[in-house]
Amino acid sequence: MAGMTVIVRTIARLLFPFTFLFGAYIVLHGHLTPGGGFPGGVIIAASVVMLILAYGIERAQKRVSFLHAEVLESVGGLVIVVLGLFGLLLGITFLQNVFPLGELGQLFSAGNLPLLYLGVGIKVAAGILLIFYAMLFAFRGGEE
Amino acid sequence: MDFNYTIAMLLVALGLYCLLLKRNLIKLIIGLAVLTDGIHLLLISLGYRTGGIAAIVSGEMFSDLPGFAARAVDPVPQALVLTSIVINICIVAFALSLTIYAYRHYGTLDPSKLRRLKE
Amino acid sequence: MIPHAPILAIVLPLFAAFLMPVVGILARRRGIKRAREWFAIAAVLAELVIVMSMLPVVWGGQVLVYQLGGWSPPWGINLAIDGLNLLVAMIVSGISALVVIYSFVYMGRDHGLDQYYTLFLLILAGMMGVTLTGDIFNLYVFFEIMCISSYALVAFRRNWQSIEASIKYLIVGSLGTSFILLGIALLYGMVGSLNIAHLAQKLPLEPTSAIIVPLALFVTGFGIKIAMVPLHMWQPDAYQAAPSAVAALFSGATATVGIYAMVRVVYTLFGVFAIGIMLAALGLVTMVLGAFMALTQRDLKRLLAYSCISQIGYILLGLGLGTSLGIQGGLFHLFNNAIYKTMLFMIVGAIIYRVGTSNMDQLGGLWKNMPVTATLFGVGALAISGVPPFNGFASKWMIYVAGIEAGQAVFTIIALIMSALTLAYFLKAFNSIFLGQRPKHLSDVKETPLPMMFPIMLLAVLCIVFGVLPQLGIDIVRPAQEALMNSGGYIGAVLGGA
Repeated sequence: MAGMTVIVRTIARLLFPFTFLFGAYIVLHGHLTPGGGFPGGVIIAASVVMLILAYGIERAQKRVSFLHAEVLESVGGLVIVVLGLFGLLLGITFLQNVFPLGELGQLFSAGNLPLLYLGVGIKVAAGILLIFYAMLFAFRGGEE
Repeated sequence: MDFNYTIAMLLVALGLYCLLLKRNLIKLIIGLAVLTDGIHLLLISLGYRTGGIAAIVSGEMFSDLPGFAARAVDPVPQALVLTSIVINICIVAFALSLTIYAYRHYGTLDPSKLRRLKE
Repeated sequence: MIPHAPILAIVLPLFAAFLMPVVGILARRRGIKRAREWFAIAAVLAELVIVMSMLPVVWGGQVLVYQLGGWSPPWGINLAIDGLNLLVAMIVSGISALVVIYSFVYMGRDHGLDQYYTLFLLILAGMMGVTLTGDIFNLYVFFEIMCISSYALVAFRRNWQSIEASIKYLIVGSLGTSFILLGIALLYGMVGSLNIAHLAQKLPLEPTSAIIVPLALFVTGFGIKIAMVPLHMWQPDAYQAAPSAVAALFSGATATVGIYAMVRVVYTLFGVFAIGIMLAALGLVTMVLGAFMALTQRDLKRLLAYSCISQIGYILLGLGLGTSLGIQGGLFHLFNNAIYKTMLFMIVGAIIYRVGTSNMDQLGGLWKNMPVTATLFGVGALAISGVPPFNGFASKWMIYVAGIEAGQAVFTIIALIMSALTLAYFLKAFNSIFLGQRPKHLSDVKETPLPMMFPIMLLAVLCIVFGVLPQLGIDIVRPAQEALMNSGGYIGAVLGGA
């Protein structure tokens, strides 16, 4: 995939920070407003996919390679499991909310919920990106 | 509300029709997605309440708890649908990847031609 | 019991699965050989220890209830483990441990083993989740994890066979899981709860005409997963195209989990023993069709796949009879089937590993090259046909007797004939693989490597032990049978005073 015309590239480059920021906003406010890790992660992945479509896979791979995405996906999953185990170690049950709850409606509140959403967001963003990469590789002929 | 249930079941029937009668892998996958979306619509409609409010914890909720409970929509089906959507994304993505490979091996998207294993 | 054992049994394989890509990358960077294999073996053995540690508590007659996040049922998600759950968990973790050990050598020639072990641990997490959870939506989610991992495992080698099989499996399988989701949606609309015990308590109050639809949806959905006969079309393809280690896992563990889910939903949730006779009839059809189709196969793996369908029929027959002896026989057969079916698939894998084909027309006279393997195959074949000194006989005998006691002598007669047919096609298979003319190019085939032989031998020993001492096996399945018949105890234990 060689990428698209200058117009598309420019607009994709301009839009990318805003899309990414919006995704991050949705992830971080998951415990306060509708949305959360999954929709936010998808938006973040979509922003990167947009860049890949505009610039072509070769340039995108220099920034976020297949390996990075794979590691990030594992990290996202591990964050969730480790938070769950924290509940086990410090509290009584798995995934118990053992962190201070804070004040209702604040960004840093609700104990482990924002952290969980962060884990989910990382995992989903990396996962969707991995799916996209895998399909591209499948099209181009099986190189890993 | 009956309208919602009717549409949901129509979607399920449409998906089943696609799965049974279409001769193209991509269309089969679309049928699968439509079928699942019908079920999602059914689930969401189960928890919906006309003029209901979102079930999000806020300051006003604690001041009038019974009133909030009487007006809020049921959040459980929404959680179920979100989970199910995630699962569905995985299935569709995986099915499409398999379709790419199948096209490469067989040169066709017709599922009735994918029967070399039986021979 | 290890503290928090129920949740650890689900989280441990999940954790290991997420860690596996990292382990793979580190092992490649540092040049550590076989790190992934040892890591997977360690994880699965730890899993086995965790499951076994729950054994004394549950066999003491207690139902283990574990609340997630401290939310009490019916509001929160809870794990509930009675004798039935534990029996299935034991089978699943035991078979998975043996298959991982087997994969050490068998999968050694493949590329992309990171993905293989990740998927393996994910499917294990899914199976454990289905087995241990007490919440029906949670069951659906774990069932989907299990299904998606199994589609991917079938397609693992990405050659035309596996892609074709995987597509068929995926489309039919997702249709089945969609039916399960629809059933859950209808139940939630009716009762407004997702907890299995709570649903079981409330559902008898609903009109029968309303609960018959979700029941049909559940039976269809789980029936697809266990390849019950009108819904079995995907299964021979999937088992033939999947690597043998994967097929061994499917036939031993995944099918067991499917039957567990079906039985739990049909008996505990709906509590309708009336449709038992329908299950028994479906089992009978499954048994007959599987046996006849197996008779005509030329590929050993496909033959085993059809024989798997046939054995599932026996289990459904025993469980569907609904008497305590029938259920005991069905569960005992479930246990035995997991043992010898896994073993037979492993032996086929060993033959493929050494010879490169499982087509019986191209094999022959391997007795001289692989005497131990041939003997073990003989043990498995005799066990599956229900010949006396092996374990298949004990459980089949219980099902026959239960059939006569329940007044269904016709069922027993058909089951007996099918048993003879099973012996016939396994003798045919044995004859064409190990006896007869040996093609010239097979003269320097070697015996199965030792690490692959070890799990096969262990399973063969189990076949003989449970055949000679059937009482031992009956003691293992009795808590499960008692738990299944006593759904009131399950409901009481989960809901407690609530």
